[in-house]
Amino acid sequence: MRETWVVGAASNRFGKMAETAREAATRVSLAAIQRAGLEPRDIGHTFVANCFGLAEHQAHVGPLINNGLGIPDVPSVTLESACSSSSAALHEAFVHVAGGFAEAALVVGAERLSHLDTLSATSYFAIAADYAFETKNGATFPGLYATLASAYAKEYSATPEMFGAIAVKNHANAARNPHAHFQKEISLATYLASPTIATPFRLYDCCPFSDGAAAVVVAAKERIRSPVGEPLVIRASARAGAVTDMQDRPDLLGLPSTRLAAEKAFRQARLERSAIDFLEVHDCFTIAEALAIEDLGFVPKGLGARQAADGVTARDGKLPVNPSGGLKAKGHPVSATGASQVVEVFEQFNGLAHGREVPRAETALTHNVGATGGSCSVHIFSRR
Amino acid sequence: MDDPLPAAPHTIREFIAGYEEGQTLRGFRCPGCRHLTATWGLACPRCGRIGLEEAALGSEGTVVAFTVLSVPGDEFVNDAPYAYVVVELDGGARVTGWIPAVRSAAELALGDRVRFAPSYRPGVQFAKIPDLPER
Repeated sequence: MRETWVVGAASNRFGKMAETAREAATRVSLAAIQRAGLEPRDIGHTFVANCFGLAEHQAHVGPLINNGLGIPDVPSVTLESACSSSSAALHEAFVHVAGGFAEAALVVGAERLSHLDTLSATSYFAIAADYAFETKNGATFPGLYATLASAYAKEYSATPEMFGAIAVKNHANAARNPHAHFQKEISLATYLASPTIATPFRLYDCCPFSDGAAAVVVAAKERIRSPVGEPLVIRASARAGAVTDMQDRPDLLGLPSTRLAAEKAFRQARLERSAIDFLEVHDCFTIAEALAIEDLGFVPKGLGARQAADGVTARDGKLPVNPSGGLKAKGHPVSATGASQVVEVFEQFNGLAHGREVPRAETALTHNVGATGGSCSVHIFSRR
Repeated sequence: MDDPLPAAPHTIREFIAGYEEGQTLRGFRCPGCRHLTATWGLACPRCGRIGLEEAALGSEGTVVAFTVLSVPGDEFVNDAPYAYVVVELDGGARVTGWIPAVRSAAELALGDRVRFAPSYRPGVQFAKIPDLPER
């Protein structure tokens, strides 16, 4: 296995796209390739994530993206791993380049659901649950995480103020991120006054439905000629699965796939938790950020929910979490999310995260979950 | 017609037909680790053993996690608010289901007793035991 790098990364502004996912995917791809100082013809394989392409009547979008980049002869494949689709695509790109099957690979994730009404969008999100045993019983995506939150809050006495502090912190970070869907701070009072979606969740516990696109270029050392700045070495690219149905889980107090993927990643990177300077974690709901920092091994079980309230996870705290604003406030265009976490690391390490810099960051971890934990990806990146 | 492929003791269609007909909840038991599950499969999700047995999961249990949804799933548009529940049945299996007409989280608590109470509506439907007449 050879050393493999992220040489370019780019994102559009998350929110509502007038253009199709195909157009947005092609545009961020070219931007990422140009940030890497490469040409489209340098790409050996394209890995696409576009989970809900059928909402735009479009499957097999990879060849269309490659065609639009002027490389119709380059192979492409679309990967589906629910909300972790583009980090799954990144893992495949890593495997191809590290294994010598490509010199450079393009990873692009894009999603557009804003042309649907809330009910249809909610239904699309619920597709990633177990249709026969969860969705058929009334589950929605917020409903499933709210169920986990009910068990967690009872076991560990977590309060709405603790979950609110996570939302407030991530909105404050997103207010400084030009890619973010919500570029506006919120107060704890606003959080507490927002309407109930699925108890104990208020509106501001939930990530928005966002459109968006993000791309990452992965390459072997020989292809490094980034005009933007420093490439990032991929120290670990790990994935894990776990029981998806809540009815089969040994407990409801964490996501076992996060624990497993983190163990694999830290073994692969030969690093301790203390080497990580900041985290981009999968906070589709406030509870998910609490579970993530526990299951990744940074915080003891049961203490995740209170870290934001205590200031630990702020950009200038001991353990900065989601300087981008996270899914919660940057937005969650399902298939673009995993790639956009890498865009944040790339921009942080290259002085492009103006106004939201994490001081002295050298090594960062990204964590991307598929649905309620059936899949999980963990990647670790360092500056050269 | 011979189907030479491995099969489970019942299909998902039979599971759903079973509760729509008001029977007890059907599930699977692992002959190795004794794990009980309603989720369809050919092998045990806990220990990996291939070959599950038919099991009756029972009909009464305790709520171990729940949410009350104000924004419903698309087959439940006219049902909100309702509760989505994870129930630990007295036989040990956990199943997910829903309870209609729960208006707020104050109307349900972790530890509440519930009984499988199927209706013409979709899904594994439960009712709180004090809300049901004595059988």
